[in-house]
Amino acid sequence: MASSLRHLVFAYRHGCRSACGTTILPAPDSMYRQRCGLLSKLPIRKRARGLSLSMPLLLWCLLTVAVANAGQALQPAEQVGKGSEVSNTTPASVSAVEYSKKGADTCMKCHNEDAEYPVLDIFKTKHAVKADSRTPFAGLQCEACHGPGVSGALFMEQALRAGSHVGKVRRGEKRPPIINFGPKSDEPAAVQNGMCLQCHKGGSHIPWQGSVHETAEVTCASCHTIHTAHDPVLDNMTQPNVCFKCHLKERADFSKPSHHPVSSGQLGCSDCHASHGAGTSTLLIRPTLNETCYTCHAEKRGPFLWEHAPVAEECTLCHVPHGSIHPALLTKRPPLLCQQCHSQLGHPSVALTTQGLPSATPSALLLAGSCTNCHSQVHGSNHPSGVKLMR
Amino acid sequence: MMKRDMKVTVTSGQLLPVMLCLLFPLCAAGETTIVDVPAGVDISDWVCQYCVFERGFSGDVEAGIGSVSDDSFKFGEYNGLYDDGPFLIGNATARYRDGNAGHLDLRVRELGLDTRSVEIEGGRQGKYQLFLQYDGKPHYISDSAMTSYLGSGSDTLQLPPEWVTAGSTGGMTALAASLRDIDLKAERKRTGVGIAFIPASKWRTAVNFRHEVRNGQKKTAGSFFFNSAQLVEPVDYVTDEVEASVTYTTRKWQAKLAYFGSFFRNQNESLTWQNAYNPIVGGADTGQRALPPDNQFHQILLSSGYQWSERTRVSGDIAIGRMEQDEALLAATINPTLGVALPRTSANAQVDTLTGNLKVDSTVSNKLRLNVSYRYNDRDNRTPSEVLDWVTTDAFVALPRRNLPYSFTDNTMSLGAAYRLDKATRLRGGYEYAKKERTNQEVDETQESTFWAKVGVHVREDIDMSLKAAHAERDASGYHLVTETDPSQNPLLRKYNLADRSRDTVSFHAGLSPNERMSIGLGFDFSNDDYSDSALGLSESQEVGFNGDASVILSDVTSLHAFGGRQRIKSEQAGSQTFSTPDWLAKNDDTIDSFGIGVQHQLMQHKLVVGADYVLSRSTGRIRVETGAPGADFPVLKADLDTLKLYADYRLKDKLTLHVAYWYESYDSKDWMLDGVDPDTVSGVLGLGEDTPRYDVHAVMISTRYRF
Repeated sequence: MASSLRHLVFAYRHGCRSACGTTILPAPDSMYRQRCGLLSKLPIRKRARGLSLSMPLLLWCLLTVAVANAGQALQPAEQVGKGSEVSNTTPASVSAVEYSKKGADTCMKCHNEDAEYPVLDIFKTKHAVKADSRTPFAGLQCEACHGPGVSGALFMEQALRAGSHVGKVRRGEKRPPIINFGPKSDEPAAVQNGMCLQCHKGGSHIPWQGSVHETAEVTCASCHTIHTAHDPVLDNMTQPNVCFKCHLKERADFSKPSHHPVSSGQLGCSDCHASHGAGTSTLLIRPTLNETCYTCHAEKRGPFLWEHAPVAEECTLCHVPHGSIHPALLTKRPPLLCQQCHSQLGHPSVALTTQGLPSATPSALLLAGSCTNCHSQVHGSNHPSGVKLMR
Repeated sequence: MMKRDMKVTVTSGQLLPVMLCLLFPLCAAGETTIVDVPAGVDISDWVCQYCVFERGFSGDVEAGIGSVSDDSFKFGEYNGLYDDGPFLIGNATARYRDGNAGHLDLRVRELGLDTRSVEIEGGRQGKYQLFLQYDGKPHYISDSAMTSYLGSGSDTLQLPPEWVTAGSTGGMTALAASLRDIDLKAERKRTGVGIAFIPASKWRTAVNFRHEVRNGQKKTAGSFFFNSAQLVEPVDYVTDEVEASVTYTTRKWQAKLAYFGSFFRNQNESLTWQNAYNPIVGGADTGQRALPPDNQFHQILLSSGYQWSERTRVSGDIAIGRMEQDEALLAATINPTLGVALPRTSANAQVDTLTGNLKVDSTVSNKLRLNVSYRYNDRDNRTPSEVLDWVTTDAFVALPRRNLPYSFTDNTMSLGAAYRLDKATRLRGGYEYAKKERTNQEVDETQESTFWAKVGVHVREDIDMSLKAAHAERDASGYHLVTETDPSQNPLLRKYNLADRSRDTVSFHAGLSPNERMSIGLGFDFSNDDYSDSALGLSESQEVGFNGDASVILSDVTSLHAFGGRQRIKSEQAGSQTFSTPDWLAKNDDTIDSFGIGVQHQLMQHKLVVGADYVLSRSTGRIRVETGAPGADFPVLKADLDTLKLYADYRLKDKLTLHVAYWYESYDSKDWMLDGVDPDTVSGVLGLGEDTPRYDVHAVMISTRYRF
């Protein structure tokens, strides 16, 4: 309701023409583009003073606004950080008049090689392959991702405030923004991500909505760099540094004495983790934790004749995959690791103290491999006599 | 998206022609979607005359030489620089674009080292794509191991002819003279090939193959009752993986159907070794251990998402799989004086897996968002359970035992809500219930309930903070001894994954940008597990961590990055030497400190870039075993790592850059399990005598990179 009133106020002050770019009824094309084109050249103050309202136009606007409101009730509104509502529609439902005149050529009048923020490397990426009709540059070009250059109902908040991103701006005034991405963006995560999800919704992105990163309002642009030939997050060598921006603890983990080869660039985070979402609580690439480990450690899969129960249940009962100060990525070293679960009378339950060190009476249960000096088949054994994991 | 699909594996030859036959008819119609432009938008004028579309060849080549001062497996553990001396530097990227969606990309990395990788990708974007990949992943484990066994690295270990057996290692008089160095390492070589087709609008099919050969030798051990020897086991594995998938994507509905197959083959079945000790019984002079048997895994996966409305999305997946292993069983013993019959000739091991997830996420109103999800995971172990006669350590016939195939069923349900309090603040909360059922174990069922709450404050890029707290309670259905376990466990023991547990976690994260030139990240994580009902076993474990990092742009030409953190992991467990109530206590206390700082500076109008990075990591582990007697504290476990990298990039010409780097790394460690433990230190363990790694390595590198 509040937004429809604002529509009316806008219409009254600025001339109905601007308000008529609604989501439901596009205006007659030629008349509209001419008027809106004219409008976009004038700063708001002039428009407010100069233009008069005519009755038919006002009635038409009222009708449009009423229908738009009914339509908006059917569509969810995503709350913008600034407290107003913005319709979460896709460009398919936005009127023609909202787009710039010449597409990328309009944008590149300012966003050229001399611009402060370099964007031309987009042409070295898969997004800028015209012959592939799925790509932005086969269609709406820059505006496929950044939204319409001229403000419209989709960006009513901006339109009320300031006008169009591609329009003329007074000297000293700040240019109204277009949809932008990344940490400095004004847009909420849902709007930013909504642009990417128009195309990138399938495959590994299926579980995105409701996933840990999405509910934490991480934007696609938090991890991905689009205007570059070489997106760091898509390369094992540079990917971990992108993840470490938020996952601070993991940076230290890979410097521990026993670690997976992430810091040397042999493995990237995405060799185990599905950052776009997964059913497992730690976002793994395969349906279960063990299956993820088996993609490199298939010799541990078995199944074995004699199984070691914690191995069959979850590798992380004994191992910590990122890094550990104990050998073989163990949470703790034997014998204490094993003595958390083994309490039989005899050597399993003996307290192994410093008396077992080389300086006293060197103990087979403590030194070298400790329990694994005899029980070497810790992951299970297929030997008929492998009952005690010794064969 | 493609990076994930690049996971390539090779299959058996039978699958490939079948796949291609299915795909070729589809790919014959190579049509793609028409441009998705809103009705009424006329883009005919959008000629993109200023667009600099890529066309032709481009790339860069880097060639050079480097040198490492010392050899150290620990320094070169994963990076290939384990050997002293010179090495070649070779990196290259090349791109070709025909201006019409045809593309070819080549990337070569570290050509002069065992870590070399080559990736070639090409095709017609929007229609098809092929790629080939080779990747070397070495793992250098230990270069200080020594063994008297001949044939180390093969499946048969023999002692030299002059070997003298003894009752303990102290009496092995031929030991010292017969010791030889043996390197413990494993090298993986992966080759992969993948094809992806877009046969029609909204469809995509892909087949990926990956073939991995892993060669090397690793540490293991074998014993004859209480006489043990650390041995070297051959690693000669081949793992083939295949993934074939079909994806369908529309705005409303997306689905992916895939087959995943993994085939593991071990070129060796067993490891046979000669007993170095006096045989404890007649005939126990050689032992035989099983090596990992060949196995295979097949899985069908379906994942799908449906946009019920603009507000609500339903997504889910299901995966049905089977693990199989049916290698011929080895003999129960190779002791010729003992004869034991086996009830079956092969393991006939099989596990059926079923995993499913379903999630509904809905933006109920402007301020409120709800989600509910359910996860099911079942591991159904169908390996036949039989009583088997067996021989302990090729020495004594033991009491028959039944093999226990472990099965698990998990059911997890989660509810979550997010409420936007105001434009910057969001409250979130949720509840999760997890039930886990197990067979053949001390506990049949555990149930865990978790409550969590989170508050997040986000104000553009200036401030981004969140505080999360969670509490979980796990109950075990009732602890009973597993009768097949012989000797039996102390009835007071509670295995920590089956025990009652109370878990608390708190975490705080903040990202701050006080100004345009600075960004700071802070993190605090705390977790405490309390097993208050466990008289024996793990009773408490706690983890606390502080982390921070900062990026500062000091000037237009200088930037700085720093990070630091401390993590402390503590745990406590109890044991009983008298098979009764607790009479000893053990405490573990690990602390890891890390710090890093890096600075980069540009000189000579950006022609010269110099930089320095310093990273340190200090790990200490304290173990204390309290029995009432003195000397509870073990020597401190220690690992100190210092890394300094200095580099300079000088632009000689427009396309030619000279790169010079110096790398110094120092590592020092103390490990009471290895320090002072020679092959004959322990009377009943003929060890490998490994040393705790320590090194001081300098490396220099000089290379030129030409960009074309």
